[in-house]
Amino acid sequence: MAFENHEEGHFTVVRIDESRLDASVAEVFKTYVFDLIEEGRSNIVVDLAEVRFMDSTGLSVLVAGLKKLSGNGSFSLACAQPAVRDLFDLTSMDKLFKLHGSVAEAVKGS
Amino acid sequence: MSQVLKLEIDSQLSNTRLVAMAVRGVCAMTTLSPVEINRLELCLVEIVNNAIEHAYDNEAGHPVEVCVSMNKTTMNISVSDWGQSIPDDVMQNKTEMVVDPEQPEVWLCSGRGLHIVNKLMDQVTYESNQDKNSFIMKKELRH
Repeated sequence: MAFENHEEGHFTVVRIDESRLDASVAEVFKTYVFDLIEEGRSNIVVDLAEVRFMDSTGLSVLVAGLKKLSGNGSFSLACAQPAVRDLFDLTSMDKLFKLHGSVAEAVKGS
Repeated sequence: MSQVLKLEIDSQLSNTRLVAMAVRGVCAMTTLSPVEINRLELCLVEIVNNAIEHAYDNEAGHPVEVCVSMNKTTMNISVSDWGQSIPDDVMQNKTEMVVDPEQPEVWLCSGRGLHIVNKLMDQVTYESNQDKNSFIMKKELRH
C-alpha cells in the first residue's frame, strides 16, 4: 500500500510511501483521503517526508482535501521536501496550507 | 553543434515518470542547478500529462513524443502529440493565478500546470502542423 495512516492524539497522520505524488497516483490518493474524511477523521496531517516530486495534479488533491474539510477540521502538511516546497511557493499555495517542519510539530498545532 | 534526444511513450500517466527520469539524466550533464533541474522536470511532467489528459482524453494507445535538444547555451524540450490541440484562449491566458484563502470555490481551478510552465521557462511556443501538436519549451543555460 502506498499510503497508510495512524492516529496521534486528535490527529490522523497520513503517510505517503511514494517518492512521487503525481497524476498517475493522485486519484488513488484522493479516494484514500476522502474515505478517511467520510469516516469522520477531521484533523488530518499529511506526512510528505518521502515525496521528492509533486506535480500540479498531486497538489490539486491536497487542495481538494483541504476544501472538503474546510471549516470542519484541519488539513495540514508536514516534512515537505525542497522541490515540494518550491511548488507551493510557485503556485502561492503556501497561503492555503500550514507547512510544518515535522509531524510532531503538526500534531502540536504549532 | 546541438545534441538531440528523442523519446516516445504511450499515452498513459504512469509513463510520464519515464521521460521525466530520462530528461533529469540529460539535465545532470548541463550547468543547470538542482533547483532548476527540479523545475524543468516539473514543466516537462505538466506538459506530458497535459497531452495525455487533454489531447488524448486519457486514452492509452497513442504516442507522446519528447524531444530534447541542446547546445552550449540553450536547452529546448518539445512535447508532441497527435490529438486535440490546446485552444488558443488557453495558451494565451497569461493571467497570474491569485490564491485567496477566503475563496475556496476557486482553489481548484484548472490550468495551473500551464501557468507554472509559463512562469519557469524562458520561452514557450505552441505549434500545430497537420496532425502534430508541439509544445516547445526553451531554457537558457549558463556557460
